[in-house]
Amino acid sequence: MPDIVFLTLSGLVIVSAIFALEARELIYGAVGLAFSLIGVAGLFILLGAEYLAMFQVSVYVGAVVVLILFTIMLVRRESGRIVEEEEPGRLGRAGILVAGLVALAVAGAVILVVPMSLEAPEFHGIPLRELGRYLASSYAVALVILGILIGATVVGGLTLVKVEREETNSGAAQ
Amino acid sequence: MTCLQGLPTLQEIVNLVLRIITSRTFLEVVFFPGFLNVMLSAAFLTWLERKVIARVQLRIGPLYAGISGILQPIADGVKLMFKETIFPELADTKLLMLCALGLMLLAFAPAVAIPFGEGFVIANMDVGLVYVFAVLSLFPSVILLIGWASNSKYPFLGGLRSLFQQVAYEIPMWLSVLGIVMLTGTLNLTKIVEAQQRLWFVVPQVLGFAVFFTAALAELERTPFDLPEAETELVMGWMTELSGVPFMIGFLAMYTKLYVMSALITTLFLGGWSGPGFVPQPVWVLLKTFLVASVIVVIRGSFPRVRVDILLKTGWTRLLLLALVNILVTVALISFGLDWVWRI
Amino acid sequence: MGLDTWSLVTVYEIVVFLVTVPLLIFGWLMGAKGKNPIRDAPFESGQTHLGEARQRYMMQYYPYLIMFIVFDVVAMFLFTWGLAFSGVPLTQDYLFLVFIAVLVAPLGYALYLSGRREFW
Repeated sequence: MPDIVFLTLSGLVIVSAIFALEARELIYGAVGLAFSLIGVAGLFILLGAEYLAMFQVSVYVGAVVVLILFTIMLVRRESGRIVEEEEPGRLGRAGILVAGLVALAVAGAVILVVPMSLEAPEFHGIPLRELGRYLASSYAVALVILGILIGATVVGGLTLVKVEREETNSGAAQ
Repeated sequence: MTCLQGLPTLQEIVNLVLRIITSRTFLEVVFFPGFLNVMLSAAFLTWLERKVIARVQLRIGPLYAGISGILQPIADGVKLMFKETIFPELADTKLLMLCALGLMLLAFAPAVAIPFGEGFVIANMDVGLVYVFAVLSLFPSVILLIGWASNSKYPFLGGLRSLFQQVAYEIPMWLSVLGIVMLTGTLNLTKIVEAQQRLWFVVPQVLGFAVFFTAALAELERTPFDLPEAETELVMGWMTELSGVPFMIGFLAMYTKLYVMSALITTLFLGGWSGPGFVPQPVWVLLKTFLVASVIVVIRGSFPRVRVDILLKTGWTRLLLLALVNILVTVALISFGLDWVWRI
Repeated sequence: MGLDTWSLVTVYEIVVFLVTVPLLIFGWLMGAKGKNPIRDAPFESGQTHLGEARQRYMMQYYPYLIMFIVFDVVAMFLFTWGLAFSGVPLTQDYLFLVFIAVLVAPLGYALYLSGRREFW
């Protein structure tokens, strides 16, 4: 049973990702991304990391994808929404072929050389309370640094937007 | 990889299916407290809302369909099923239908974790609380997509307003229950209810309750936060271009969410299934849930609407601050050793 | 039948799915037919619609979305801390408060940017 579930979820992740890349409309791409990330959350559940799966859904699908959607929807559409696609030329096609062969060779070498099994190793997960303990004690400084990093990123991003708005505004005023 | 060890015979398949259908878990899932319960409760809430609002406005509300109009939701449902599904010319029909399906799946999902008695819950998740929050966080994206796919100004604006509103109030909502998590040390909804046997959390966590209740009103897009649906401004907000069955789904999803939120408030703050024993535990849950829903409905009839920028600012500043204060109060409670009340 | 929790959730969702899809199909098939431009136009209270529907509304609240992502992550860490909180504060519990305090500054900046409507 677990194998079927694993295969379905992996299939969802991969197929949605391919769909997201190949879709004509950006919005569909974002929706494909959302499905792919939900599949990843499902894989987390299979691994027993339920807490992480829940926040994967609410941070990635509930926040990041929303941000992407919002940005797509409010970008002006003068540029047109259909991306011109070029067929890869002869050099391009040769390149794709070489890349595919190299990938196959590497994958084959890894499978043959490295001892692998399809049984997952024993999972000794950390209970969430322990995780909280660790975060508050051993990793507290790292957490604060993380906070500063996030804060700096946000302030930087907002400043960039602000500068761009100011340019547009002053440009429009002229 | 596991190989299929010979296909099972038809007889075995039929037996397996029959065993599953009559198993207790399946019956629980489909009927009570699962799908049918949620569906009927949501329909009941539409009737309740119309009756209560009517009384607030000195009217009577639905009267003719069944005793006191109780069958009105069924009549509405049947009517909507036979209406034509019209979408505007330039709208993205496939996306709208997909989003309608998504709305149904999302609205019904949290009910699975709500406990209806000791050990009587469909999915006893150790992360039940964050599961409910994760599902709730998916609504803004679906609503935004519906607003976009309708390709029409009113729904799009309604979708955007809904997005920002829900996003602004989700953080205070999460932080307001952190106090409960600290007092019980678990995210499991069943254990949270069990911890309230001596004293319901609405007492020590008054602030948290107030913040959660307010944030829930915003999540439900209900007055005084019903900008996305402001009838005088936006027709029906993001639902404007939905008709027939998709509209029924959108409408039903809103009331299902109301049911789920009320049930969640009952579970987290009002002691879930606890109550005197002459009434069975699931009935207590339903009674308290409908009581909370009635209060929410009365609030709808009593308050004016909040302006959008004030709404967003309040969510991000005042409610967030109050939630943090609640956390500090809880820290003080625990530091003084008072948390034995809620430890079993 | 001893199914584990998440399988039950999946079964439940499948039930919802199996009810909704026929409903949608039924509604789609049941409508009267007959396209005409008035019926298919977007609804604007009787006016003919003008202008592109998808414009830059509410752009000024963009910083709020970014702050939502940040505080979403904060909530994730905060819940683990809350679970572990046993009343005996470690000396480093205060660093958690610092973690939150550090992120109040960007929030203030976001609020400031979002408040200036003419700017956007």
